[in-house]
Amino acid sequence: MSYIWMSLAVLFVQIFLLDNINIGASVALWMRPMIFPLIVLLLPMHWKMIWVVLAAYGVGYIMDISLGGEGLYVATLLPLALIRPTLIYLIGRHSVDISDEKHILSRLGTWQMMLYIASALLIHHTLFFFLEALSFSHFGQVVLTIIFSMLLSTTIGWFVVRLFISKVLVR
Amino acid sequence: MSDSLCPPKLIKIVACVMHRLFEFLRRIYVVLVFLLLEGIALWQYATSSPYTEAKVFARTTAIGGAISGVVTDVEHFFSLPEENERLTERISVLEQERQRDYELLSRAELDSLATTCYGEEDVTFRFRAARVSSSTSNRQRNYIVLDRGARDGMKVDMGVMTPERHMVGYITSCSEHYSVVVPITNTKFNTGGRLIDDVNNNFFCSISWDGDSRYHAQASDISVNVDIRNGMTIEVSSERMPRGVVVGTIESYGTNNAQTAYSAQVKLAADMTAIDNVIVVENVHYAEIGTLLNEEEEEDE
Repeated sequence: MSYIWMSLAVLFVQIFLLDNINIGASVALWMRPMIFPLIVLLLPMHWKMIWVVLAAYGVGYIMDISLGGEGLYVATLLPLALIRPTLIYLIGRHSVDISDEKHILSRLGTWQMMLYIASALLIHHTLFFFLEALSFSHFGQVVLTIIFSMLLSTTIGWFVVRLFISKVLVR
Repeated sequence: MSDSLCPPKLIKIVACVMHRLFEFLRRIYVVLVFLLLEGIALWQYATSSPYTEAKVFARTTAIGGAISGVVTDVEHFFSLPEENERLTERISVLEQERQRDYELLSRAELDSLATTCYGEEDVTFRFRAARVSSSTSNRQRNYIVLDRGARDGMKVDMGVMTPERHMVGYITSCSEHYSVVVPITNTKFNTGGRLIDDVNNNFFCSISWDGDSRYHAQASDISVNVDIRNGMTIEVSSERMPRGVVVGTIESYGTNNAQTAYSAQVKLAADMTAIDNVIVVENVHYAEIGTLLNEEEEEDE
């Protein structure tokens, strides 16, 4: 139940807040925070992969409908569902028991959780902005947008995680 | 029907295959679902606006063009032998025309009236394309076999050159379908050569091969009056070949013991180890020249 509240909160913030912030056209060009991938990233690790993929599709579909992405949000969110286990393994293999899938997320340290979120958002933002541009002609601008957006998304996402983590993750 | 393919066994085999197929699909069905959903999303995005449509179309066209280019290059590579043969045939026709024009111009310089009835049959040299059937290059006496013979108009003592007008050798024997060529890289080979200096003076020499290097021949009896230097071109000087056929360039030189003539090491223009298509040159007056020379020699005796 807590997970559903978290998902709704994230969707609300993303659709009605983050996408409607007007902090100046020049700034908005470089900073486009996206925290909805957290919904997929914080899904229980013991879930079957097929449900994770379908959940990612559902979240992406809602984003496409709400923000007019025309498939862009789905296309960039689905790969996260597949690479999520690999990221967890790479980040947490030295400090957490990987075989205990049910509790792995809750047992990640602060920095490990932040690294997990940041790396996943970096991958998502890279796919998203390059697919949106469909061109390498403004490569520098796209890269800067990815970096600034990722930093802002990670910061906002971290607050969301801290707010909900004890209620969402299985201990 | 044989015992090994009777219906119950066939059904068992099919069932086993189907079972394995389902097991395989069960292992990878997540990836298949991912690919399906991703494909749908990307297709939806690609067709969502004129901008994305144009971008995707441009990208797929570029990729398709690159693949097509590679395929064309591969096809072109395998069609090179036929293309080389076609080009050599064309070169022989052009050489013929060039020779006719050259002789026409030469005659006009001497006698303007002599040009009025100059046709193809009056041309001194005839050019025919041929292809190397086999060759040797690692012996003292190397030979080249051409895929043209007497029925194609080949005769003994015809000259052979590359399409780039580099000297190869002379036909030494012919059969109905094939001809044998003595190339420069044969110790029996001997021909006249000509050095042309900066003021267009011609200096004659002898070209032969000492059997040492496949890429070098030797020029001897070069007059000491030549302002000789490395890099000078030596052309063939023989009634079997037209003017302008190159033997090679001087790589090094020295005088003989009596200081009466130069000898030079000549870097061959033609790569004798990689000859494929050649042009065979016929001097239509060669027999006439031979008869004249024989008469002179008999008179001298």
